[in-house]
Amino acid sequence: MIELRSMTFGYGKKALFEGLDLGLEPGSIYGLLGLNGAGKTSLLKIVAGALAPKAGSVEVFGRVPELREAACLADIAFVPEDPWVPALRPSAWLSRYACFRPAFDRDRFAALLGEFAIEEDKLLTKFSYGQRKKFALAAALASGARAVLLDEPTNGLDIPSKTQFRRVLAASASEDRIVVVSTHQVRDLESLIDPVLILDAGRVTFTLSSDTIAERLASARLASPDARAAVHAEADAVGWSALVPREGREGEAAADLELVFNAAVGQPERLAAALAGAALPPDPQAAGAGPAAAAAKGGRS
Amino acid sequence: MMRLSSIARISPIRIWQLFRDRLLEDGPTAGVGAAVVLALNLLSLLFFKRATFNAGSGQAWGAAIGLGGYLLAASAFKRMHDGKAGTEWILLPAEPVEKYLAALLEYALALPLLLGAAATGLSALLALAERAAGGPGSFAWTPAAAGGLGAWGRYAVGVCLFLAGSASFRKNAFLKTVGLIAAFGLAAMLVAGGGAWLLGRGSGHLSFGAANGTISIDGESLSEAARRAIELLFELSAYVLAPAFSILFGWAKVAEKEARDEVQ
Repeated sequence: MIELRSMTFGYGKKALFEGLDLGLEPGSIYGLLGLNGAGKTSLLKIVAGALAPKAGSVEVFGRVPELREAACLADIAFVPEDPWVPALRPSAWLSRYACFRPAFDRDRFAALLGEFAIEEDKLLTKFSYGQRKKFALAAALASGARAVLLDEPTNGLDIPSKTQFRRVLAASASEDRIVVVSTHQVRDLESLIDPVLILDAGRVTFTLSSDTIAERLASARLASPDARAAVHAEADAVGWSALVPREGREGEAAADLELVFNAAVGQPERLAAALAGAALPPDPQAAGAGPAAAAAKGGRS
Repeated sequence: MMRLSSIARISPIRIWQLFRDRLLEDGPTAGVGAAVVLALNLLSLLFFKRATFNAGSGQAWGAAIGLGGYLLAASAFKRMHDGKAGTEWILLPAEPVEKYLAALLEYALALPLLLGAAATGLSALLALAERAAGGPGSFAWTPAAAGGLGAWGRYAVGVCLFLAGSASFRKNAFLKTVGLIAAFGLAAMLVAGGGAWLLGRGSGHLSFGAANGTISIDGESLSEAARRAIELLFELSAYVLAPAFSILFGWAKVAEKEARDEVQ
Protein backbone atom coordinates (compact mmCIF):
# COMPACT_ATOMS: atom_id res chain seq x y z
CA MET A 1 0.00 0.00 0.00
CA ILE A 2 0.93 3.67 -0.14
CA GLU A 3 1.17 5.20 3.29
CA LEU A 4 1.95 8.78 4.28
CA ARG A 5 2.28 9.51 7.98
CA SER A 6 2.47 13.07 9.36
CA MET A 7 4.10 14.09 6.10
CA THR A 8 5.26 17.69 5.82
CA PHE A 9 6.48 19.24 2.63
CA GLY A 10 6.86 22.72 1.21
CA TYR A 11 8.78 24.97 -1.11
CA GLY A 12 11.07 27.35 0.74
CA LYS A 13 9.47 28.34 4.02
CA LYS A 14 5.94 27.91 2.71
CA ALA A 15 4.41 24.60 3.79
CA LEU A 16 2.27 22.87 1.21
CA PHE A 17 1.45 19.86 3.38
CA GLU A 18 1.69 19.83 7.13
CA GLY A 19 1.27 16.53 8.93
CA LEU A 20 -0.56 14.85 6.04
CA ASP A 21 -1.81 11.32 6.70
CA LEU A 22 -3.00 9.19 3.83
CA GLY A 23 -3.37 5.48 3.16
CA LEU A 24 -4.08 4.02 -0.27
CA GLU A 25 -4.90 0.35 -0.73
CA PRO A 26 -4.26 -1.81 -3.81
CA GLY A 27 -7.13 -2.69 -6.09
CA SER A 28 -8.43 0.85 -6.64
CA ILE A 29 -8.10 3.69 -9.09
CA TYR A 30 -7.93 6.74 -6.86
CA GLY A 31 -8.94 10.11 -8.29
CA LEU A 32 -6.95 12.97 -6.82
CA LEU A 33 -8.81 16.24 -7.23
CA GLY A 34 -7.77 19.69 -6.08
CA LEU A 35 -7.63 23.32 -7.12
CA ASN A 36 -4.61 24.66 -9.01
CA GLY A 37 -1.71 24.88 -6.58
CA ALA A 38 -3.31 22.49 -4.10
CA GLY A 39 -0.27 20.23 -4.43
CA LYS A 40 -1.53 17.33 -6.54
CA THR A 41 1.63 17.10 -8.65
CA SER A 42 3.85 17.60 -5.63
CA LEU A 43 2.02 14.83 -3.79
CA LEU A 44 2.46 12.44 -6.72
CA LYS A 45 6.14 13.36 -6.98
CA ILE A 46 6.62 12.77 -3.26
CA VAL A 47 5.04 9.33 -3.54
CA ALA A 48 7.15 8.61 -6.64
CA GLY A 49 10.37 9.60 -4.86
CA ALA A 50 11.16 12.63 -7.00
CA LEU A 51 10.59 14.99 -4.07
CA ALA A 52 11.57 14.39 -0.45
CA PRO A 53 9.28 15.22 2.46
CA LYS A 54 10.66 17.56 5.11
CA ALA A 55 9.19 15.50 7.93
CA GLY A 56 7.08 12.41 8.43
CA SER A 57 7.26 9.26 6.38
CA VAL A 58 6.19 7.98 2.98
CA GLU A 59 6.13 4.29 2.13
CA VAL A 60 5.15 2.52 -1.06
CA PHE A 61 4.64 -1.20 -0.58
CA GLY A 62 6.86 -1.03 2.51
CA ARG A 63 9.73 0.85 0.87
CA VAL A 64 10.74 4.48 1.22
CA PRO A 65 10.73 6.10 -2.23
CA GLU A 66 12.89 9.01 -1.05
CA LEU A 67 15.80 6.56 -0.73
CA ARG A 68 15.50 5.78 -4.45
CA GLU A 69 16.28 2.10 -4.19
CA ALA A 70 16.16 0.57 -7.64
CA ALA A 71 13.60 -2.02 -6.53
CA CYS A 72 11.34 0.69 -5.13
CA LEU A 73 11.61 2.90 -8.23
CA ALA A 74 10.85 -0.10 -10.45
CA ASP A 75 7.65 -0.64 -8.50
CA ILE A 76 6.44 2.91 -9.17
CA ALA A 77 5.50 4.38 -12.55
CA PHE A 78 4.92 8.13 -12.66
CA VAL A 79 3.62 9.88 -15.76
CA PRO A 80 3.95 13.66 -15.51
CA GLU A 81 1.50 15.99 -17.17
CA ASP A 82 4.01 16.81 -19.91
CA PRO A 83 6.23 13.73 -20.21
CA TRP A 84 9.81 13.97 -21.44
CA VAL A 85 10.93 11.55 -24.12
CA PRO A 86 14.39 10.88 -25.57
CA ALA A 87 15.22 11.21 -29.27
CA LEU A 88 14.66 7.51 -29.93
CA ARG A 89 12.19 5.35 -31.80
CA PRO A 90 9.84 3.28 -29.62
CA SER A 91 11.80 0.07 -30.33
CA ALA A 92 15.11 1.72 -29.33
CA TRP A 93 13.47 3.16 -26.22
CA LEU A 94 12.32 -0.35 -25.34
CA SER A 95 15.82 -1.82 -25.61
CA ARG A 96 17.44 1.06 -23.71
CA TYR A 97 15.00 1.73 -20.86
CA ALA A 98 12.62 -1.19 -20.35
CA CYS A 99 15.56 -3.24 -19.05
CA PHE A 100 15.55 -1.16 -15.85
CA ARG A 101 12.14 -2.59 -14.96
CA PRO A 102 12.33 -6.34 -14.42
CA ALA A 103 8.53 -6.74 -14.54
CA PHE A 104 8.13 -4.80 -17.80
CA ASP A 105 5.61 -6.59 -20.03
CA ARG A 106 6.82 -6.20 -23.62
CA ASP A 107 3.76 -7.88 -25.14
CA ARG A 108 1.45 -5.59 -23.21
CA PHE A 109 3.53 -2.60 -24.28
CA ALA A 110 3.29 -3.61 -27.94
CA ALA A 111 -0.46 -4.10 -27.56
CA LEU A 112 -0.87 -0.69 -25.92
CA LEU A 113 1.19 1.03 -28.62
CA GLY A 114 -1.12 -0.60 -31.16
CA GLU A 115 -4.21 0.42 -29.22
CA PHE A 116 -3.02 4.03 -29.00
CA ALA A 117 -1.96 3.97 -32.69
CA ILE A 118 1.59 5.03 -31.84
CA GLU A 119 3.83 5.28 -34.92
CA GLU A 120 6.74 2.90 -34.41
CA ASP A 121 9.08 4.34 -37.04
CA LYS A 122 9.08 7.90 -35.74
CA LEU A 123 11.36 9.52 -33.19
CA LEU A 124 9.57 10.09 -29.89
CA THR A 125 10.71 13.72 -29.91
CA LYS A 126 8.78 14.22 -33.16
CA PHE A 127 5.56 13.10 -31.50
CA SER A 128 2.82 15.58 -30.68
CA TYR A 129 2.03 16.30 -27.03
CA GLY A 130 -0.88 13.86 -27.10
CA GLN A 131 1.21 11.12 -28.75
CA ARG A 132 4.01 11.57 -26.22
CA LYS A 133 1.46 11.32 -23.49
CA LYS A 134 -0.02 8.12 -24.92
CA PHE A 135 3.47 6.65 -25.27
CA ALA A 136 4.29 7.49 -21.64
CA LEU A 137 0.96 6.05 -20.48
CA ALA A 138 1.62 2.84 -22.42
CA ALA A 139 5.09 2.59 -20.88
CA ALA A 140 3.72 3.14 -17.37
CA LEU A 141 0.88 0.66 -17.74
CA ALA A 142 3.21 -2.00 -19.17
CA SER A 143 5.95 -1.30 -16.59
CA GLY A 144 4.77 -3.93 -14.14
CA ALA A 145 4.86 -1.29 -11.40
CA ARG A 146 2.35 -1.81 -8.62
CA ALA A 147 1.99 1.92 -7.97
CA VAL A 148 0.95 3.85 -11.08
CA LEU A 149 0.76 7.62 -10.64
CA LEU A 150 -0.77 9.60 -13.48
CA ASP A 151 -0.76 13.39 -13.53
CA GLU A 152 -3.53 14.83 -15.70
CA PRO A 153 -3.50 11.82 -18.03
CA THR A 154 -6.32 12.98 -20.30
CA ASN A 155 -4.97 16.49 -20.92
CA GLY A 156 -3.98 16.72 -24.55
CA LEU A 157 -5.71 13.51 -25.61
CA ASP A 158 -8.22 13.70 -28.42
CA ILE A 159 -11.72 12.29 -27.86
CA PRO A 160 -11.07 8.77 -29.28
CA SER A 161 -7.83 8.62 -27.28
CA LYS A 162 -9.68 9.47 -24.07
CA THR A 163 -12.04 6.57 -24.72
CA GLN A 164 -9.07 4.28 -25.45
CA PHE A 165 -7.35 5.50 -22.30
CA ARG A 166 -10.38 4.76 -20.14
CA ARG A 167 -10.60 1.27 -21.62
CA VAL A 168 -6.88 0.63 -21.19
CA LEU A 169 -6.80 1.97 -17.64
CA ALA A 170 -9.80 -0.14 -16.63
CA ALA A 171 -8.08 -3.21 -18.07
CA SER A 172 -4.82 -2.36 -16.29
CA ALA A 173 -6.36 -2.15 -12.85
CA SER A 174 -5.69 -5.20 -10.75
CA GLU A 175 -6.01 -6.39 -7.18
CA ASP A 176 -2.35 -5.77 -6.40
CA ARG A 177 -2.04 -2.41 -8.11
CA ILE A 178 -2.70 1.12 -6.86
CA VAL A 179 -3.50 3.66 -9.55
CA VAL A 180 -3.66 7.33 -8.59
CA VAL A 181 -4.98 9.74 -11.19
CA SER A 182 -4.65 13.44 -10.58
CA THR A 183 -7.04 15.33 -12.81
CA HIS A 184 -9.04 18.47 -13.48
CA GLN A 185 -10.93 16.66 -16.22
CA VAL A 186 -13.30 14.98 -13.81
CA ARG A 187 -15.87 14.09 -16.42
CA ASP A 188 -13.28 12.25 -18.54
CA LEU A 189 -12.67 9.77 -15.75
CA GLU A 190 -15.84 9.93 -13.66
CA SER A 191 -16.74 6.35 -14.44
CA LEU A 192 -13.29 5.02 -13.52
CA ILE A 193 -12.02 6.75 -10.42
CA ASP A 194 -13.19 5.30 -7.14
CA PRO A 195 -12.65 6.57 -4.53
CA VAL A 196 -12.13 10.27 -5.02
CA LEU A 197 -9.65 12.13 -2.82
CA ILE A 198 -10.14 15.86 -2.50
CA LEU A 199 -7.03 17.82 -1.70
CA ASP A 200 -7.52 21.25 -0.23
CA ALA A 201 -5.40 23.51 1.96
CA GLY A 202 -2.65 20.93 2.33
CA ARG A 203 -4.80 18.02 3.44
CA VAL A 204 -7.16 15.42 2.04
CA THR A 205 -10.47 16.90 3.10
CA PHE A 206 -12.72 14.20 1.64
CA THR A 207 -12.29 10.58 0.61
CA LEU A 208 -15.44 9.69 -1.25
CA SER A 209 -16.27 6.28 -2.63
CA SER A 210 -18.65 6.07 -5.57
CA ASP A 211 -21.07 4.15 -3.31
CA THR A 212 -21.12 6.95 -0.73
CA ILE A 213 -21.69 9.56 -3.42
CA ALA A 214 -24.45 7.48 -5.00
CA GLU A 215 -26.15 6.83 -1.65
CA ARG A 216 -26.01 10.34 -0.28
CA LEU A 217 -25.95 12.80 -3.14
CA ALA A 218 -27.84 13.56 -6.33
CA SER A 219 -27.83 16.17 -9.04
CA ALA A 220 -30.88 18.29 -9.69
CA ARG A 221 -31.94 21.09 -11.99
CA LEU A 222 -33.47 23.96 -10.13
CA ALA A 223 -35.43 26.92 -11.43
CA SER A 224 -33.96 29.02 -8.63
CA PRO A 225 -31.30 28.29 -6.03
CA ASP A 226 -33.87 28.57 -3.25
CA ALA A 227 -36.26 26.04 -4.79
CA ARG A 228 -34.75 23.24 -2.76
CA ALA A 229 -32.08 22.99 -0.04
CA ALA A 230 -28.95 22.34 -2.08
CA VAL A 231 -25.45 21.48 -0.94
CA HIS A 232 -24.12 23.53 -3.82
CA ALA A 233 -25.70 25.18 -6.84
CA GLU A 234 -24.23 26.74 -9.94
CA ALA A 235 -25.95 28.98 -12.43
CA ASP A 236 -25.77 27.87 -16.03
CA ALA A 237 -27.38 28.95 -19.29
CA VAL A 238 -30.76 27.43 -18.54
CA GLY A 239 -31.13 27.70 -14.78
CA TRP A 240 -29.38 26.15 -11.83
CA SER A 241 -27.43 22.95 -11.63
CA ALA A 242 -27.40 21.73 -8.04
CA LEU A 243 -25.92 19.06 -5.82
CA VAL A 244 -28.61 17.99 -3.40
CA PRO A 245 -28.91 15.42 -0.63
CA ARG A 246 -30.39 12.24 -2.09
CA GLU A 247 -33.94 11.76 -0.98
CA GLY A 248 -34.50 8.35 -2.50
CA ARG A 249 -37.11 9.62 -4.92
CA GLU A 250 -37.71 7.97 -8.26
CA GLY A 251 -35.69 9.48 -11.11
CA GLU A 252 -33.08 11.34 -9.07
CA ALA A 253 -30.01 11.92 -11.21
CA ALA A 254 -26.58 10.64 -10.19
CA ALA A 255 -24.41 13.26 -8.52
CA ASP A 256 -22.16 15.15 -10.89
CA LEU A 257 -18.56 14.74 -9.70
CA GLU A 258 -17.67 18.27 -10.73
CA LEU A 259 -20.41 19.62 -8.47
CA VAL A 260 -19.21 17.33 -5.68
CA PHE A 261 -15.71 18.75 -6.05
CA ASN A 262 -16.93 22.34 -6.13
CA ALA A 263 -19.00 21.66 -3.01
CA ALA A 264 -15.97 20.08 -1.31
CA VAL A 265 -13.82 23.15 -1.80
CA GLY A 266 -16.60 25.76 -1.56
CA GLN A 267 -18.96 24.44 1.11
CA PRO A 268 -17.14 21.61 2.87
CA GLU A 269 -19.33 21.79 5.99
CA ARG A 270 -22.51 21.45 3.96
CA LEU A 271 -21.08 18.57 1.95
CA ALA A 272 -19.94 16.83 5.13
CA ALA A 273 -23.43 17.25 6.59
CA ALA A 274 -25.08 15.88 3.45
CA LEU A 275 -22.74 12.87 3.46
CA ALA A 276 -23.55 12.27 7.12
CA GLY A 277 -27.28 12.52 6.39
CA ALA A 278 -27.57 15.53 8.73
CA ALA A 279 -29.36 18.82 8.22
CA LEU A 280 -27.42 21.27 6.07
CA PRO A 281 -25.80 24.10 8.05
CA PRO A 282 -26.47 27.69 6.94
CA ASP A 283 -24.61 28.76 3.84
CA PRO A 284 -22.21 31.60 4.73
CA GLN A 285 -21.76 32.49 1.07
CA ALA A 286 -25.49 33.12 0.63
CA ALA A 287 -25.85 35.38 3.68
CA GLY A 288 -26.78 38.88 2.58
CA ALA A 289 -26.67 37.98 -1.09
CA GLY A 290 -29.65 37.26 -3.27
CA PRO A 291 -29.74 34.67 -6.02
CA ALA A 292 -28.69 37.24 -8.59
CA ALA A 293 -25.54 38.08 -6.64
CA ALA A 294 -24.82 34.41 -6.13
CA ALA A 295 -25.38 33.71 -9.83
CA ALA A 296 -22.98 36.48 -10.69
CA LYS A 297 -20.37 34.71 -8.58
CA GLY A 298 -20.98 31.54 -10.57
CA GLY A 299 -22.24 29.35 -7.79
CA ARG A 300 -24.04 29.19 -4.48
CA SER A 301 -25.79 26.73 -2.30
CA MET B 1 20.64 11.57 1.34
CA MET B 2 23.96 9.77 1.60
CA ARG B 3 23.32 6.06 1.82
CA LEU B 4 26.21 3.69 2.28
CA SER B 5 23.68 0.84 2.43
CA SER B 6 22.93 1.38 -1.25
CA ILE B 7 26.42 0.11 -2.10
CA ALA B 8 25.25 -3.34 -1.02
CA ARG B 9 22.52 -3.20 -3.64
CA ILE B 10 24.78 -2.36 -6.58
CA SER B 11 23.93 -4.35 -9.68
CA PRO B 12 26.67 -4.72 -12.32
CA ILE B 13 23.94 -5.33 -14.90
CA ARG B 14 22.26 -2.00 -14.19
CA ILE B 15 25.65 -0.24 -14.21
CA TRP B 16 26.31 -1.78 -17.62
CA GLN B 17 22.89 -0.63 -18.86
CA LEU B 18 23.51 2.90 -17.60
CA PHE B 19 27.04 2.87 -19.02
CA ARG B 20 25.79 1.69 -22.42
CA ASP B 21 23.06 4.34 -22.39
CA ARG B 22 25.63 7.08 -21.70
CA LEU B 23 27.98 5.77 -24.35
CA LEU B 24 25.21 5.74 -26.95
CA GLU B 25 24.17 9.26 -25.96
CA ASP B 26 27.70 10.66 -26.10
CA GLY B 27 28.70 8.80 -29.27
CA PRO B 28 27.42 11.43 -31.72
CA THR B 29 29.06 14.29 -29.77
CA ALA B 30 32.39 12.46 -29.64
CA GLY B 31 32.01 11.72 -33.36
CA VAL B 32 31.56 15.41 -34.14
CA GLY B 33 34.66 16.21 -32.06
CA ALA B 34 36.69 13.59 -33.95
CA ALA B 35 35.44 14.98 -37.27
CA VAL B 36 36.54 18.50 -36.28
CA VAL B 37 40.02 17.21 -35.34
CA LEU B 38 40.25 15.32 -38.62
CA ALA B 39 39.13 18.36 -40.61
CA LEU B 40 41.73 20.59 -38.91
CA ASN B 41 44.47 18.11 -39.69
CA LEU B 42 43.40 17.63 -43.30
CA LEU B 43 43.35 21.39 -43.83
CA SER B 44 46.87 21.80 -42.43
CA LEU B 45 47.96 18.80 -44.52
CA LEU B 46 46.55 20.46 -47.60
CA PHE B 47 48.24 23.80 -47.00
CA PHE B 48 51.42 22.91 -45.12
CA LYS B 49 51.97 19.21 -45.90
CA ARG B 50 51.86 18.62 -42.12
CA ALA B 51 49.10 17.19 -39.95
CA THR B 52 49.04 19.85 -37.26
CA PHE B 53 48.24 17.41 -34.43
CA ASN B 54 51.26 15.24 -35.37
CA ALA B 55 53.65 18.19 -35.13
CA GLY B 56 56.23 18.21 -32.35
CA SER B 57 55.62 15.49 -29.76
CA GLY B 58 51.93 15.28 -30.66
CA GLN B 59 50.76 16.85 -27.43
CA ALA B 60 47.71 18.20 -29.23
CA TRP B 61 46.23 14.68 -29.34
CA GLY B 62 46.44 14.26 -25.58
CA ALA B 63 45.10 17.77 -25.04
CA ALA B 64 42.15 17.14 -27.38
CA ILE B 65 41.28 13.87 -25.63
CA GLY B 66 41.55 15.52 -22.22
CA LEU B 67 39.47 18.53 -23.22
CA GLY B 68 36.85 16.33 -24.92
CA GLY B 69 36.63 14.07 -21.89
CA TYR B 70 36.30 17.01 -19.50
CA LEU B 71 33.64 18.70 -21.63
CA LEU B 72 31.60 15.50 -21.76
CA ALA B 73 32.10 14.82 -18.04
CA ALA B 74 30.97 18.35 -17.22
CA SER B 75 27.68 17.67 -19.00
CA ALA B 76 27.23 14.16 -17.54
CA PHE B 77 24.31 15.14 -15.29
CA LYS B 78 22.83 17.85 -17.48
CA ARG B 79 19.63 15.84 -17.91
CA MET B 80 19.22 15.52 -14.16
CA HIS B 81 18.97 19.32 -13.86
CA ASP B 82 16.45 19.68 -16.69
CA GLY B 83 12.94 20.58 -15.60
CA LYS B 84 11.21 17.89 -17.65
CA ALA B 85 13.89 15.29 -18.31
CA GLY B 86 15.11 15.51 -14.72
CA THR B 87 12.05 13.78 -13.27
CA GLU B 88 12.50 10.89 -15.71
CA TRP B 89 16.23 10.66 -14.95
CA ILE B 90 15.81 10.79 -11.19
CA LEU B 91 13.08 8.13 -11.26
CA LEU B 92 14.92 5.78 -13.62
CA PRO B 93 15.03 2.57 -11.56
CA ALA B 94 18.71 2.44 -10.64
CA GLU B 95 20.52 3.34 -7.43
CA PRO B 96 22.06 6.82 -7.41
CA VAL B 97 25.44 5.21 -6.74
CA GLU B 98 25.02 3.11 -9.89
CA LYS B 99 24.19 6.20 -11.92
CA TYR B 100 27.33 7.90 -10.61
CA LEU B 101 29.57 4.86 -11.09
CA ALA B 102 28.40 4.43 -14.68
CA ALA B 103 29.37 8.05 -15.42
CA LEU B 104 32.72 7.65 -13.69
CA LEU B 105 33.48 4.46 -15.62
CA GLU B 106 32.63 6.04 -18.93
CA TYR B 107 34.43 9.36 -18.61
CA ALA B 108 37.44 8.22 -16.57
CA LEU B 109 38.04 4.85 -18.19
CA ALA B 110 36.14 4.00 -21.37
CA LEU B 111 36.28 7.40 -23.05
CA PRO B 112 40.07 7.89 -22.85
CA LEU B 113 40.54 4.31 -24.06
CA LEU B 114 38.19 4.73 -27.00
CA LEU B 115 39.38 8.24 -27.87
CA GLY B 116 43.00 7.13 -27.39
CA ALA B 117 42.50 4.24 -29.81
CA ALA B 118 40.76 6.52 -32.31
CA ALA B 119 43.51 9.12 -32.01
CA THR B 120 46.21 6.47 -32.49
CA GLY B 121 44.52 5.29 -35.67
CA LEU B 122 43.91 8.80 -36.97
CA SER B 123 47.44 9.89 -36.21
CA ALA B 124 48.89 6.88 -38.06
CA LEU B 125 46.67 7.55 -41.07
CA LEU B 126 47.64 11.21 -41.06
CA ALA B 127 51.35 10.28 -40.86
CA LEU B 128 50.88 8.12 -43.96
CA ALA B 129 49.02 10.94 -45.68
CA GLU B 130 51.85 13.32 -44.74
CA ARG B 131 54.36 11.05 -46.38
CA ALA B 132 52.20 10.70 -49.45
CA ALA B 133 51.93 14.49 -49.64
CA GLY B 134 55.69 14.84 -49.47
CA GLY B 135 55.78 15.90 -45.82
CA PRO B 136 57.84 14.27 -43.05
CA GLY B 137 55.27 11.68 -41.89
CA SER B 138 57.71 10.48 -39.29
CA PHE B 139 55.55 10.74 -36.17
CA ALA B 140 52.42 8.86 -35.20
CA TRP B 141 50.89 9.49 -31.78
CA THR B 142 50.24 6.76 -29.23
CA PRO B 143 48.88 7.07 -25.67
CA ALA B 144 52.41 6.33 -24.43
CA ALA B 145 53.55 9.58 -26.06
CA ALA B 146 51.04 11.46 -23.91
CA GLY B 147 52.56 10.12 -20.72
CA GLY B 148 50.86 6.74 -20.41
CA LEU B 149 49.40 5.81 -17.04
CA GLY B 150 50.62 8.94 -15.28
CA ALA B 151 48.79 11.16 -17.75
CA TRP B 152 45.70 9.00 -17.45
CA GLY B 153 45.82 9.35 -13.64
CA ARG B 154 45.92 13.15 -13.88
CA TYR B 155 43.11 13.08 -16.44
CA ALA B 156 40.99 10.80 -14.20
CA VAL B 157 41.38 13.21 -11.26
CA GLY B 158 40.07 15.97 -13.53
CA VAL B 159 37.12 13.80 -14.54
CA CYS B 160 36.21 13.33 -10.86
CA LEU B 161 36.19 17.12 -10.41
CA PHE B 162 34.15 17.78 -13.55
CA LEU B 163 31.61 15.09 -12.64
CA ALA B 164 31.13 16.71 -9.25
CA GLY B 165 30.75 20.06 -11.05
CA SER B 166 28.18 18.55 -13.38
CA ALA B 167 26.21 17.16 -10.45
CA SER B 168 26.30 20.53 -8.70
CA PHE B 169 25.78 23.13 -11.41
CA ARG B 170 22.64 23.37 -13.49
CA LYS B 171 24.19 25.55 -16.20
CA ASN B 172 27.73 26.17 -17.53
CA ALA B 173 29.09 23.36 -15.38
CA PHE B 174 32.41 23.24 -17.30
CA LEU B 175 33.27 26.91 -16.85
CA LYS B 176 32.06 27.00 -13.27
CA THR B 177 34.16 23.93 -12.41
CA VAL B 178 37.23 25.45 -14.08
CA GLY B 179 36.59 28.63 -12.07
CA LEU B 180 36.26 26.66 -8.87
CA ILE B 181 39.48 24.72 -9.53
CA ALA B 182 41.28 28.00 -10.25
CA ALA B 183 39.89 29.51 -7.05
CA PHE B 184 41.06 26.49 -5.04
CA GLY B 185 44.48 26.70 -6.69
CA LEU B 186 44.71 30.37 -5.83
CA ALA B 187 43.63 29.71 -2.25
CA ALA B 188 46.24 26.93 -1.95
CA MET B 189 48.93 29.30 -3.26
CA LEU B 190 47.86 31.96 -0.78
CA VAL B 191 47.99 29.46 2.07
CA ALA B 192 51.43 28.25 0.94
CA GLY B 193 52.62 31.82 0.48
CA GLY B 194 51.25 32.73 3.92
CA GLY B 195 53.06 29.76 5.43
CA ALA B 196 56.31 30.79 3.77
CA TRP B 197 55.82 34.35 4.99
CA LEU B 198 55.36 33.09 8.52
CA LEU B 199 58.32 30.73 8.27
CA GLY B 200 60.45 33.52 6.80
CA ARG B 201 59.27 35.80 9.61
CA GLY B 202 57.62 38.28 7.42
CA SER B 203 59.95 38.69 4.50
CA GLY B 204 60.02 35.57 2.45
CA HIS B 205 58.53 33.81 -0.46
CA LEU B 206 58.20 30.15 -1.25
CA SER B 207 59.75 28.91 -4.46
CA PHE B 208 59.54 25.47 -5.97
CA GLY B 209 62.62 24.62 -7.92
CA ALA B 210 61.03 22.49 -10.56
CA ALA B 211 64.23 22.15 -12.55
CA ASN B 212 66.32 20.49 -9.87
CA GLY B 213 63.48 19.26 -7.66
CA THR B 214 64.19 21.58 -4.75
CA ILE B 215 61.79 23.55 -2.60
CA SER B 216 63.22 26.62 -0.95
CA ILE B 217 62.01 29.28 1.44
CA ASP B 218 63.78 32.60 1.15
CA GLY B 219 66.37 30.94 -1.04
CA GLU B 220 67.17 28.35 1.61
CA SER B 221 66.60 24.78 0.41
CA LEU B 222 64.48 22.51 2.58
CA SER B 223 65.85 19.25 3.85
CA GLU B 224 65.19 16.14 1.77
CA ALA B 225 62.69 14.85 4.35
CA ALA B 226 60.76 18.14 4.41
CA ARG B 227 60.78 18.30 0.63
CA ARG B 228 59.48 14.75 0.39
CA ALA B 229 56.80 15.49 3.00
CA ILE B 230 55.56 18.52 1.07
CA GLU B 231 55.50 16.54 -2.18
CA LEU B 232 53.63 13.72 -0.48
CA LEU B 233 51.12 16.17 0.92
CA PHE B 234 50.60 17.63 -2.53
CA GLU B 235 50.22 14.20 -4.15
CA LEU B 236 47.87 13.02 -1.43
CA SER B 237 45.72 16.13 -1.87
CA ALA B 238 45.71 16.01 -5.66
CA TYR B 239 45.43 12.29 -6.31
CA VAL B 240 43.56 10.94 -3.28
CA LEU B 241 41.72 13.58 -1.28
CA ALA B 242 40.47 15.75 -4.14
CA PRO B 243 39.05 12.85 -6.22
CA ALA B 244 37.67 11.05 -3.17
CA PHE B 245 35.97 14.18 -1.90
CA SER B 246 34.62 15.12 -5.32
CA ILE B 247 33.23 11.60 -5.89
CA LEU B 248 31.47 11.60 -2.51
CA PHE B 249 30.24 15.15 -3.00
CA GLY B 250 28.97 14.46 -6.53
CA TRP B 251 27.29 11.23 -5.49
CA ALA B 252 25.55 13.01 -2.61
CA LYS B 253 24.33 15.68 -5.03
CA VAL B 254 22.91 13.03 -7.36
CA ALA B 255 21.33 11.07 -4.50
CA GLU B 256 19.72 14.19 -3.05
CA LYS B 257 18.59 15.78 -6.29
CA GLU B 258 14.86 16.49 -6.33
CA ALA B 259 12.58 17.23 -9.28
CA ARG B 260 11.55 20.66 -8.03
CA ASP B 261 11.78 22.53 -11.29
CA GLU B 262 8.42 21.74 -12.85
CA VAL B 263 5.75 21.45 -10.24
CA GLN B 264 2.23 22.69 -10.54
